[in-house]
Amino acid sequence: MRTFAGARSRWSIGQLLMYAALLIMTAFFLVPIVWAIVDAVGVTAVRWLLNSVVYSTAGVVIAVGLCIPAGYGIATHEFPGRRALLILTILMMLIPPTALVLPLFLEANAAHLLTSPLALILPYGLFPFGVYLAYLYFNTARFHALLESARIDGCNEWQVFRRVAIPLSLPVSALIVFLNFVASWTNFFLPWVMFWSFGTTSRYPLSLGIALQLYHPQTTGFYAGGGAVASGLQLHTSSPPSQVALLVLLAGLPVVVVFVLAQRWIGSGQLQSVFR
Amino acid sequence: MRPRKTGYLFVAPYVALLIVAGIYPVLYAINLAFTSLTAHFSGVTNFVKSWANPEFLPAIGHIGLFLAIWLTVLVVFVVGLSLMLHSLDSRVSAGFRFVFYLPAALAGSAGVMLWLFMLEPGTSPWDFVLRWFGFSTLGDTLASGHLAIVFAVIAFWSGAGSWIVVMYGALATIPPEVLELARLDGAGPWRTAMTIKLPLIKKWIAYMLIGAFAAGTQLFAEPQLISEATGGFINQTWSPNQLAYNLSFHLGNFNYAAAISVDLLLVAAICAVVILRRSGLFTVDH
Repeated sequence: MRTFAGARSRWSIGQLLMYAALLIMTAFFLVPIVWAIVDAVGVTAVRWLLNSVVYSTAGVVIAVGLCIPAGYGIATHEFPGRRALLILTILMMLIPPTALVLPLFLEANAAHLLTSPLALILPYGLFPFGVYLAYLYFNTARFHALLESARIDGCNEWQVFRRVAIPLSLPVSALIVFLNFVASWTNFFLPWVMFWSFGTTSRYPLSLGIALQLYHPQTTGFYAGGGAVASGLQLHTSSPPSQVALLVLLAGLPVVVVFVLAQRWIGSGQLQSVFR
Repeated sequence: MRPRKTGYLFVAPYVALLIVAGIYPVLYAINLAFTSLTAHFSGVTNFVKSWANPEFLPAIGHIGLFLAIWLTVLVVFVVGLSLMLHSLDSRVSAGFRFVFYLPAALAGSAGVMLWLFMLEPGTSPWDFVLRWFGFSTLGDTLASGHLAIVFAVIAFWSGAGSWIVVMYGALATIPPEVLELARLDGAGPWRTAMTIKLPLIKKWIAYMLIGAFAAGTQLFAEPQLISEATGGFINQTWSPNQLAYNLSFHLGNFNYAAAISVDLLLVAAICAVVILRRSGLFTVDH
């Protein structure tokens, strides 16, 4: 049996040196690649990319941290309001997230949270579809029998969750991570209303940074133009098309990376209960 | 099933966020929609005034046209492609499904940006198609009569792959014995698809149509970005969501904006209830 606690408390000099060596070598392998990306798209774009990584990752951590216990609780515990919560969860997952954007904007405006990363991270972390997936995953006869035997072995409710449910939740967690990450990474409307008009370009996620490539001074205010398009109109971008194209590819890359990482569990066949 | 107290502990954090980022904003928007600028209860005044806005009916007309085109294209191509893929070897079809899904990674502003390049004659790899239609500038491609089609193409490009994955998953649940029996009865691939596979995935098609309808009424990224790209030549109030956004941002009228967002939310909620009650896809035990 592996004991992580023992390894954590005794970090020998040798281990520290080993990790230092590994970090230095990681830098050696990665720095040229990072330099190429920064040099190609510019420091500002890398800033947007990192912002997106922070917002989406924080949202994913909250989503998984809430979905797994909630789905587990609904599937395995009886409590008043359980059925109502399940129905509300299904309804929320069937309502397109864009329908909540303006209400969220009005709320953030009243709470003085506009341009705050929290205005993105909290809505990203709310993932009713993930709760429903976790509920389906845990709501099987086999899983219920497993929990019962853990209780007979003397585990209390917390230990049953910690030692049985969490280790077994890996496939459904991977699916939640992937779906939630893609949803928040490609989200445009929510960051638009929370950040766009407030000039805080340094806090933009990449989806807004890309939109900024279009912004040019002719854009005027409300009702401009009245629908008539000048036939001589051409596309103007604030950087050369090749650089914009690179930015677009950079925006798609993390989704592919997360897909490849999560695929191992998503395709593993352990999610049969979800796709019944 | 275990007793109540621990059950509450497991769902409590989720319920807290559900209230903060789901239920409360909706109630707040509803409250705002029924309140006047002077913070008094105003009944349906905001709704009536927002409907009477000269931009409101055109926006509904635009979105209606967009939905008619998009939903037709979606149902024909997603069902057709899924049936074709289902008749292939599963490894071959996995390759196709991956490629069809790939644009989902570029949903939102990245995809719209790419499509602006696709739509500009001279830059686009589809230049010959655009010339064939007689378009020589971006302004020709984006003439106001074309916009619903353009947005439908972009939405289809980035969204169809996910639905093909779902539809293929539904087809994969058809027991092989059923298909084998059909083959022994002498049914060809076309007849099997039409008389066996199609009826078995009917509820998934209904789910896709209602879900896509609800999502389509919310269109924002495509018209907003293309409006930006054309320097405002294209109206910034093409879709209802754009209208609501512009009412609150440029005119500071949060109450009208709330009224329109409540209209849209109502459409989405009705669709969600219809899917839950009628499709039979989302079961709630006892």
